[in-house]
Amino acid sequence: MSVSDLAQYVVTGLLVGGVYALMSIGLALIFGVMRVVNFAQGDFMMLGMYLTYFLAVVSGVDPLLGALLTIPPFFLVGVGVHRALLVRVTGGGDPQRLMDAQLILTLGLSLIITNGTTMLLTPMPRGIKTAYATQAFAIGPVLLNQARSYAFLMALVLAGVVYVFLTRTDLGKALRAAADDPEAAGYQGIDVRAMHGLAFGVGIALVAAAGGLLATYHPIEPTVAVNFIVLMFVAVVLGGLGSIPGAFAGGLLIGLVQSLTLLVLPFQLQNVGVFITFLLVLYLRPQGLFGQRLRAV
Amino acid sequence: MKPLAILLAVLVAAPMLLAPPVATAADDFTIALVAPLSGRWARQGQLKKMGAEMAIAEINAQGGIKALGGAKIVLREADAGDSVEKAVSAAQRVLAREKISAGIGAWLSSFTLGVTEVAERLEVPWFTLSYADSITERGFKYTFQTSPVSSLQAEQALDLVVDLAKRNKQTLRKAAIVGDNTAATVFFFKPLREKLLKAKGIEIVVDEIWTPPLADATAIVQKVRSTQPDIVFYGATNFPDSIQVLQKVKEFGLNVPIQGVGAWLVTPEYVKTVGKELLDNIMTVTAAHPLKGQEELVKRFTERTGEPFMTQDPLMTYAHVWIIKEAAEMAKSADPKAIRDAVAKLDLKSGPAASTLAPGRIKYDERGRRVGAAPIIVQWQNGEPFTVVPVEYATKKPIWHGAK
Repeated sequence: MSVSDLAQYVVTGLLVGGVYALMSIGLALIFGVMRVVNFAQGDFMMLGMYLTYFLAVVSGVDPLLGALLTIPPFFLVGVGVHRALLVRVTGGGDPQRLMDAQLILTLGLSLIITNGTTMLLTPMPRGIKTAYATQAFAIGPVLLNQARSYAFLMALVLAGVVYVFLTRTDLGKALRAAADDPEAAGYQGIDVRAMHGLAFGVGIALVAAAGGLLATYHPIEPTVAVNFIVLMFVAVVLGGLGSIPGAFAGGLLIGLVQSLTLLVLPFQLQNVGVFITFLLVLYLRPQGLFGQRLRAV
Repeated sequence: MKPLAILLAVLVAAPMLLAPPVATAADDFTIALVAPLSGRWARQGQLKKMGAEMAIAEINAQGGIKALGGAKIVLREADAGDSVEKAVSAAQRVLAREKISAGIGAWLSSFTLGVTEVAERLEVPWFTLSYADSITERGFKYTFQTSPVSSLQAEQALDLVVDLAKRNKQTLRKAAIVGDNTAATVFFFKPLREKLLKAKGIEIVVDEIWTPPLADATAIVQKVRSTQPDIVFYGATNFPDSIQVLQKVKEFGLNVPIQGVGAWLVTPEYVKTVGKELLDNIMTVTAAHPLKGQEELVKRFTERTGEPFMTQDPLMTYAHVWIIKEAAEMAKSADPKAIRDAVAKLDLKSGPAASTLAPGRIKYDERGRRVGAAPIIVQWQNGEPFTVVPVEYATKKPIWHGAK
């Protein structure tokens, strides 16, 4: 194993992890603010992929731009789903019953979205043919796939924007307040229900954008979410439940571990490395890499 | 008013509740199709369904099953989903729900292994295009495997590529084996790995197997690039995995012949996703593909479905429905046991069933394997897959990778 081979494995892992990271921060935001485990998160990603695909095929929009264009409509979809459905199973009440209802609701939503898409758009896989999906930047002997590099950079920028929004704006601070202590936030005049809607909208918009970036090199089919949803959950728990920087780091770490595992284990055991790391983190640091004892965004 | 409303509701709903779950005319002849209609292999299930529906439409238009008084064929499809458990449960559901005379399915060999257990137990004849040798190694009486088995495909595909390379003045010395661990791929690679390649003096330089889905293909293609094999034996049944590998092949500028394992590599969506340039000259071994002289059949299929060409999945299912029809004519019964016995005696050399599949004969041996079933080699040429071997059925001549 030469140094350049090792560098290739590290770079590949980080590039793959970049999109995992963007997928995961939406999930972390929703969990952090609303304490809702959204099983339909991957399905919204799939819908983001389809929107990017249709923008590319029908209107000729470059998928990298298409990924950004998915953000406004999916923000509205998220707010709408919250207002129509999730609001009934969040807020006051018996926490255990609410948790059960949330799980059933988001799981049901996931089934409806997957099967509805299969019925409407057929199971036929589709792909956006981009030149950059099969081209690479060469840094010495190390090759960086162009589509993955662009996706990685955009994921980094979007995650940065979310971080600035949460830490530097009044609305972001209100969101964090609603996450930290909904009751006290209410006393301060913060509309907790509206904050939940905002968090769900932003969470869905982010995962749809991640889907759009993924669509630049990954085929699109109604069941594409199953390939990613488990990794998203692992990233969120690895990083510390509800922590945005944690979820981002968790996503990067998964990509890196998946790639480096191949140095010691055969391909069939690629995800074994991820789950061993996951168990180690849970054993040594149960609150996750960036988690605190108290839940925080 | 309230009791009256309830009474009215009950009266309206009662006939619906009393009706059988599936309304079938008394003289219909029902065939079950268990195939993935959701999940990552749903597209293949959809293609199978298209083939079955086309055959049923043709048979029914010609007066149905004559020996059964013109009984119309009805298709009951059940979704095999994306796991063996779902496939088995779908088979149990469809076979328990009503009288099924024969069944077809379930595409992926791993699914078929489970589904044929159910069919055997319930004594319903079952037809499959799946490749795995083990499907007909269990002594089952009700399983009929129409495709050549994986190990035979491996042997014949290897002979072909060695011969083709020789004719193009190339010698194969190093081979790569790259694919997933689904049953048909495993059974294809096993004899290659254990004896066939060694017997031809070919060394295996890469042997990488994964469980779908593949996170990233960089490491695999990097290994292929660094070892420079003369041929890659390739088995990625999951479409996104396969696309990732092919995109990487282009990205890394790899110039190596690719010999696929299965019909998944010749579906129309490949052209749309990776483009015809990348596919050109890639070959794959399948159990069926349109042969010389089947232009009319393919035209009927493309006009009916809007698909750009016909491939193994609809072709094989089309043939299966016709085989079942011929068996029913012979048995003069819709009873599954009688159909099974008729299939065991069947020896068709003409008609739509026989002419659809090379070598033009439908006869099953005592294990349930089709006599004379031989693999078809298909090659992408200018954005369309053509049969190139056997030569007598070929629609185009094979082109060695890199040759003009």
